[in-house]
Amino acid sequence: MGLLGHGLFQQDWPRAWRTTELKPQYDVVVIGAGVHGLATAYYLARNHGARQVAVLDKGYIGGGGSGRNTAIIRSNYLTPEGVRFYDRSVGLYRSLAAELNFNVMFAQRGHLTLAHNDSSLRTMRWRAEVNKLEGVQSEVISPADVKALVPQMDVSSGTRYPVLGALYHPPGGIIRHDAVNWGYARAADALGVEIHQNTEVLAISLDRGRVRGVNTSKGKVSAPVVVNCTAGWASLVAEMAGVSLPIVTHPLQAAVTEPVKMFLQAVVVSGSLHVYVSQTDRGELVFGASTDPYPSYSMRGSLEFTEELASHVLELMPGIAKLRVLRQWAGLCDITPDFSPIMGVTEVEGFLVDVGWGTYGFKAGPAAGESMAELVATGKTPELIAAFDLARFFEGRLVGERGAAAVGH
Amino acid sequence: MVTIARARNSTRDMRAGRRPGELIDRATSLGFTWNGRRYSGFQGDTIVSALAASGEKFFSRSFKYHRPRGILTANFHDPNCIVQVDDEPNVRAAHRRLRGGMTVKAQNVWPSLAWDIAAVNGAFPRFLSAGFYYKTFIKPQRLWPAYERVLQHFAPGGRLPASSAGGEYDKRYAHPDVLVAGGGPAGMAAALAAAEAGASVMLVEEEYELGGHLRYGRAGELALLADLRRAVAEQDGVEVLLNSVVTGRYDDNWVGVLQRELPNAGERLIKARAKMLVVAPGLIERPYVFEGNDLPGVMLSTAARRLVNLYAVKPGQRAVVFTGNDDGIAAAEDLGDIGTEVLRVVDARRGEGVRRAIGRGQVSGVELDGGTELACDLLVTSVGWTAPTSLLNMSGDIPRYDERAARFVPGRSAQPNVMATGGIVGDGSADELVSHGRAVGAAAAARAHGGNETGAPELVPRPHPALFRASTHGFVDFSEDVSSKDIFSAAQEGYDSAELAKRYTTATMGPGQGKLETVNTVAVLAEATGRTIAETGTTVWRPPYVPISLGALAGRLHAPVRYSPMQPWHEARGAVPLVAGQWVRPEHYGDPGAEVRNVREKVGIIDVTPLGKLDLRGPDVPKLLNLLYVNKWSKLEVGSVRYGVMCAEDGVVLDDGVTGRLGEDHYLMSTTSSGAGAVWEWLENWLQCSYPDWLVHVTQMTTAYASINIAGPSSRHLLGRLVSDVDLSPEAFPYMHVRTGSVAGVPDCYMWRIGFTGELSYEIHVPAGFGLYVWERLLAAGGDLGVGAFGVEAQRIMRLEKGHMIVAQDTDGLTEAFSAGLEWLVKLDKPDFIGKPELVFEHEKGPGSKLVGLQPVDPGVVPAEGSQILTDDRVIAGRVTSSRMSPTLGRSVCLGFVIAELASPGSVVTVHLPDGNDVAATVMPQLAHFDPEGARLRG
Amino acid sequence: MILIPCPYCGPRNSDEFAHWGEGGARPPVQDIGPAEWRAYLYIRRNRAGWTTETWFHRFGCARFFVAERNTVTNEVRTTRSVGSEAPPSASPEEG
Repeated sequence: MGLLGHGLFQQDWPRAWRTTELKPQYDVVVIGAGVHGLATAYYLARNHGARQVAVLDKGYIGGGGSGRNTAIIRSNYLTPEGVRFYDRSVGLYRSLAAELNFNVMFAQRGHLTLAHNDSSLRTMRWRAEVNKLEGVQSEVISPADVKALVPQMDVSSGTRYPVLGALYHPPGGIIRHDAVNWGYARAADALGVEIHQNTEVLAISLDRGRVRGVNTSKGKVSAPVVVNCTAGWASLVAEMAGVSLPIVTHPLQAAVTEPVKMFLQAVVVSGSLHVYVSQTDRGELVFGASTDPYPSYSMRGSLEFTEELASHVLELMPGIAKLRVLRQWAGLCDITPDFSPIMGVTEVEGFLVDVGWGTYGFKAGPAAGESMAELVATGKTPELIAAFDLARFFEGRLVGERGAAAVGH
Repeated sequence: MVTIARARNSTRDMRAGRRPGELIDRATSLGFTWNGRRYSGFQGDTIVSALAASGEKFFSRSFKYHRPRGILTANFHDPNCIVQVDDEPNVRAAHRRLRGGMTVKAQNVWPSLAWDIAAVNGAFPRFLSAGFYYKTFIKPQRLWPAYERVLQHFAPGGRLPASSAGGEYDKRYAHPDVLVAGGGPAGMAAALAAAEAGASVMLVEEEYELGGHLRYGRAGELALLADLRRAVAEQDGVEVLLNSVVTGRYDDNWVGVLQRELPNAGERLIKARAKMLVVAPGLIERPYVFEGNDLPGVMLSTAARRLVNLYAVKPGQRAVVFTGNDDGIAAAEDLGDIGTEVLRVVDARRGEGVRRAIGRGQVSGVELDGGTELACDLLVTSVGWTAPTSLLNMSGDIPRYDERAARFVPGRSAQPNVMATGGIVGDGSADELVSHGRAVGAAAAARAHGGNETGAPELVPRPHPALFRASTHGFVDFSEDVSSKDIFSAAQEGYDSAELAKRYTTATMGPGQGKLETVNTVAVLAEATGRTIAETGTTVWRPPYVPISLGALAGRLHAPVRYSPMQPWHEARGAVPLVAGQWVRPEHYGDPGAEVRNVREKVGIIDVTPLGKLDLRGPDVPKLLNLLYVNKWSKLEVGSVRYGVMCAEDGVVLDDGVTGRLGEDHYLMSTTSSGAGAVWEWLENWLQCSYPDWLVHVTQMTTAYASINIAGPSSRHLLGRLVSDVDLSPEAFPYMHVRTGSVAGVPDCYMWRIGFTGELSYEIHVPAGFGLYVWERLLAAGGDLGVGAFGVEAQRIMRLEKGHMIVAQDTDGLTEAFSAGLEWLVKLDKPDFIGKPELVFEHEKGPGSKLVGLQPVDPGVVPAEGSQILTDDRVIAGRVTSSRMSPTLGRSVCLGFVIAELASPGSVVTVHLPDGNDVAATVMPQLAHFDPEGARLRG
Repeated sequence: MILIPCPYCGPRNSDEFAHWGEGGARPPVQDIGPAEWRAYLYIRRNRAGWTTETWFHRFGCARFFVAERNTVTNEVRTTRSVGSEAPPSASPEEG
């Protein structure tokens, strides 16, 4: 009763966000009401006192990648700049429920990346060492340790993809993605940010190399700063401002099973088998895989995805063959050449990007929003995101996540 | 603590007299257990019909409030009849046929179905209302894991076995001209007409027998059904799949069909490339939203008719029927036939309505609009239909709301290779459905054969009163325990679009995936927001149409494995296997250190069959080599081999290997084992897309040859004993040359003199069929020389002693050629080669970090591969990429990357070990730790 | 599983093929500057709609060919051999 008691006095919640008319002018227009756009707007208002901020979305709040991802949170990246950035995000996620007064259900149940051959074991060691030096909990563990954490796992040596060990990252876990989106939207709205759903940006107006505003399906808006926080459509939105991006968009599919009683606490990832799986508090297994093999803007699910997924999952956990897949869906991922995001300024003054998030965008939302807000407010690129600028592709400074992030949920 | 009055009247026999269409075989009794008690039913019963015949009323507890739930639809989609059968969770018990000996248990109950502790939740339904979890358990944050564990305890669903063989699963491919999804009257007629027109037809029906709603119809319908079944059975070219479901329609009519309960497997997936897909799923009856609509004893008219007519089960003693159509009337008649007293037919078409169902644990009465209360134990509702447009949606169709018929109908915008017939299209008598089905089937056959026929009689949805919610609130989603009140409050809080409201309340997210729930959700939301249903949203269905087991999706697990022809020998010698990409290779035979010493002192042989091999022929091969490798190839003499490195266009090292010139226009290229396929494709790409006029032919030879490396001071001696037609003397066959000859009598073998291990060595490529023979002959011939096999580990140690890099271990996804220490190889004075511009830029800027040889100052410490190298300020400055204890040198040796500032020979760097300690290491003058001059391999 | 009409083999399941991407011509390398070269390396049009791209029939005839595919619907409109003329009716700029 004590637990339920917390809920007793919190009924009759007011509206989470207002519905307002689009104004002709804002200080900042954020395109995309996903976690990146909403967090950017929220931190602009909270940390920098911005009030005239509009978030525009062609659909509904959290309807894109932010509502379609598999909600895995972790910071065990390969490069020091990646680790530092995602660790900031994990830190913000940890206190987010209290800050937003909205339970985002962040469950740090531990995150395992399996190694099936000596070369991936070597990469795990590399990651663990970088992580530890950056102050992030991460270690290489033995097959027996894996078995202790995931009793359903087949760690015997005769399998096609033997489990030789794993990178274990205790702070990793899962979160309720919708709650994060709604929590940010609610809190941003309370600070005066306007969220305009069903408001599609059709054009970006420029004048002598700088941004003047946007044309939307609900009318024209002028703004000196426009931030592209879209995923799946980042190239198309950037093209409206005449900015070309090093991005190719691939669908990423996911699936969920019927619920069964809890048997899997940790998040399990296998890069070699292109699969990641976790079990929600409701008992469903949530699966994801690598992106589809050719670029597309289609979000239709494919049968071959579920087939491959199932065969790979059963390689790892043969005992769950009778569990049934309930639903599959797809989201769009903007993949960059170095599997790292693009955050910062562009050659068009006032047009900023927070794009190229591939398959790792949701876990980055808070840190990206906080950093982009700081960039908008101060005009200076924060150190935390300096390595992820657009210019790096033209200056030969790619970020070295290519080895580890390809399927690194 | 709320518990249920013990509703178990299992002594009460609810089985009625014989029904004309009954499926049960009363001569065959089957025993089973339900929650530990013994029951029996008949062959042909479902689990639930057998239990209902024995007087059982409720079969599950609901997800959030743990309310007792009874039969709602009495078919597969019944949200309240999901149980555990033996080790199989989430079995649809209103569909699954009874088998003798089944152990059936309720799920989501604790400790038992009748006495469920969590039913306490039911006392406080308002606290679990929409968004409950988001608004609670927020502070203190540190307690969330504890809250979470409590929530997990109440997770719905069955239990997976601790271990399970998983069953046998298989798959099948099919290529029907016409695939008909649904075996009701229209579907059967479509299949018949298509087959009569010469099409091959696959007819898929989710029930255990054809017929759809005809099965539980009146005499005329049963007669028609018998005719149709006979016609289907006699028609050539129709394959009927029963208890099977079309789970999804994907691009280009790639159709998934799930077969259930096969003799050897629980489920099987068929993948069909259908020329035409005919969608004929009929209609799904929609529940009504009102207070008490989830009480056991409230059921749909189709549920009552199925129970009565298919299983001869009496659903109750005293019934009230609420209807807006003639199907409700038919249900009332059926009930009357088996002796259920029908107290009242409440007909919405006369302006009548029900307000709420009364009861505690089960229905005990009904309150009508106007306040009349009737005591009854059964309330049947018949308020309209949902068209399951799933397969049409998946082919691009967007359903539209037909206000007159009060249901969504297909939007007629599906792909041309998808057609629809039957109830999903519109309403009609059984005969009208059949003639529509026949017309669509014939048109489908015509289209499948390239024609373009479309003529079909009109089938129009009939007007129907819009019945979604009574004046009271009730459940919209039974599996998720979402009420209409929850949807009202979601809308009020701003979650007022269909997508947001669904996500916020979780309505439609349960096991039925919205089949019963979506339209009511949209209708209630429309009401809450003052919009029309059409404005509020449509129904989008995602695959699969019904859940598919992971086992069926996976099929048999058969990831390919590649072995060399010498694998039987390796296995017989107890080689420790090493999985390397698709290959499984011997890592060592027990003592890799001894294997190293044997090679360094005597002679060893290693199976290097996985090495990629490409045969290149044609006058323009030198042009190709010059284009792809960073070094120069124009002057390679016949009989010579050369080492080369390929880069991608971004300058990153892609692959390496040696290529030899076997004849005037004939070359053999070797690649890394893992890169063999990619390099082949890379060559073909440049040849086909950029230089189609070059005369080069590429053939993949990797598995055509078994490859053996003979290494060590005695290797020439050993090989000489098996080779007579090639002069092996150092003068006649020097280092970095190639010869063709016979080995152990096997002609047409290639012999290269190269040395990855740093020893005098010969790599021989033998036609694969002779691989094991030559391998064994080498071992037999060299017994006195001390020849022994060595594995990959010994080879890796020796190559590291020699400082030879391994691409993708000592390089990574960003390592450009100069960083990899290849300045001696890269020829920027070539006019062009792949990756050249980027390497020019790198050369101008200077590489940021470099691959170097490293030796720990403490020779006994071997830093793990992946150990980081730090500056004095403890900033990461590189990493160890390869490390081993060298048996030859008696000390640890490494390769590693360090930033340019620390890369000069003699500088001492700090290596941070995984255990937290540091070790100092010296940067060596060259990559090679052993015999840097190469005297041994040139000998 | 979409069908791809290989110009040499006819329609086959897409899992027989490898996608090689938008066909961008390799610029002349003499004296090329970093910005121009890296634009060739990294920048992609990533169009939503009809695109012209290169595919490889990896588990088939081992031929590269050019396909016009709609990246929104995945419909493949035409395929042709590398280097052949694009059909006039099917300019990639439309749609």
